Amino acid sequence: MTPLHFETAYTPLWQELEDVLLRLEGRRKFGLLPRRQAVDAARLASLYRRSCEHLALARARAYPAHLTDRLDALTQRAHQAIYRRQGHGLLDLKQGLLIGLPQAVRAHRAYVAVATAVFALTTLAMGVACYLDPGFSLSLLHADQVRSYGGMYGDDAVAIGREAGGDWQMFGYYIMNNISVAFQCFASGLFLGVGSLFYLAFNGLLGGAVAGYLTARGYGEAFYSFVVTHAAFELTAIVIAGAAGLRIGHSLLAPGRQTRLQALQRAARETSVLLYGVVGMLVIAAALEAFWSSARWVAPAVKYGAGAACWVLVIGYLGWQGRHAR
Amino acid sequence: MSAALDSLFTAETPEGIALVLRPAGVVARFHAFAIDGAIRLGLMIASSIALGVMGRFGTGVFLIIYFALEWLYPVVFELLPAGATPGKRAMGLRVVMDSGLPVTPAASVVRNLLRVADFMPVLYAFGVVCMGLRADFKRLGDLAAGTLVVYTDAARLHGEQAVVVAWAGRAARLTPARLEELAVLARAVPAGAATGAATTPRLLGVAQWLLGKR
Repeated sequence: MTPLHFETAYTPLWQELEDVLLRLEGRRKFGLLPRRQAVDAARLASLYRRSCEHLALARARAYPAHLTDRLDALTQRAHQAIYRRQGHGLLDLKQGLLIGLPQAVRAHRAYVAVATAVFALTTLAMGVACYLDPGFSLSLLHADQVRSYGGMYGDDAVAIGREAGGDWQMFGYYIMNNISVAFQCFASGLFLGVGSLFYLAFNGLLGGAVAGYLTARGYGEAFYSFVVTHAAFELTAIVIAGAAGLRIGHSLLAPGRQTRLQALQRAARETSVLLYGVVGMLVIAAALEAFWSSARWVAPAVKYGAGAACWVLVIGYLGWQGRHAR
Repeated sequence: MSAALDSLFTAETPEGIALVLRPAGVVARFHAFAIDGAIRLGLMIASSIALGVMGRFGTGVFLIIYFALEWLYPVVFELLPAGATPGKRAMGLRVVMDSGLPVTPAASVVRNLLRVADFMPVLYAFGVVCMGLRADFKRLGDLAAGTLVVYTDAARLHGEQAVVVAWAGRAARLTPARLEELAVLARAVPAGAATGAATTPRLLGVAQWLLGKR
């Protein structure tokens, strides 16, 4: 069979496959999302198998390049169309929220434990040190920063609170700043986990320094009633991001029976669920921090109550939600 | 598919077909990055002007937009059917999985978050070094996510066939001696031609085959 015969004999099939693909891809000249049309899936599968077969034949017989190129492009398009991701957006989201995220956190419990320990111990140590000697906080923070923290929670702080626009400004700031910190905790884990440990410890030290200093100055109630609610989401999210980074680093250090690259890719795939959770929790935390924690008309006792409820909610959710689901 | 000479990447499908992908190198990707950077900067300036009049509320919204442009912009565009940010699209690039399939949400998130690691210690140094060391030009984020940045149009690397066809096209205009002289240069193409006397008829046969007539 000459290439010309081959081409004339099978062009109708290729043409049909191309038509099916056009309808399936629904590519529009303008507009980002495709408008897909229904096609006969069984027919598409059989046409695809034929084009695979023809491509293999054309290559084996060293047919002219224009012919193999044409078949190559056609087969590649059909391959993408057949194996494309068929997600059901909202259903995936529900599944991930009810089962995927808490299960992934529990599957990484060892990493979460290490991340929690690093973060909590550095916070505590720095907090105690700064409580005993408020001047010690200057070893980490600039004097201006320390003064501004004192001003934020001190008795002489503006007690009327900010206007609504200020809340929004802080919301935007918390979103940008906190989520970037969490992403840093995760991504720097690629350097054998050292980066994650560093950022966890660094953020722990910062938090500890501020808390210790403010407690020593006697601003404890203003400070703790401010942070207790959103901390449930914010600190948990930072720790989870650090744990995901540690998992990435550990996969490179101890890949087990896989190559380092395989282990890394698997770790990245399995921790991506954690990252969705981290972003979600930090958005909740930013909203709480901007609109609830800063509300000065709420009595501290109420905030402690709400904070306790949030902590129970978060720990209960991560610890028990989605247990029996398979 | 001579992997030693070119940087083509072969992805095998479950049907046993080898699909050939052409990974994009540092320069093309830098251009795409620069275009995206300009677009992002433009959007940021425009939104800061528009939101500047709205006071602190505007500042808050601006910070959220800044965050979205920094982190969500690449993810959102890579998950659209084109599989590429506007900058990559302009350079004729797209992001695919190692299997040649469109990039998955998890992979897109991972590769874009790990840009932080690629950025270290300064100005994407690790990313550029990593791309330079690998034949498939993957940066650290691509390695972890199992993704690949490829050219959308397939490679056209069949110079050998084109040369033989062009030679045959000039057969009528050249003297037989000159034709033979040129054909001898391509002696390696038709296998076993070295044993016969004249290479011309054999190579003309190859040209016929390449044109699909034999």
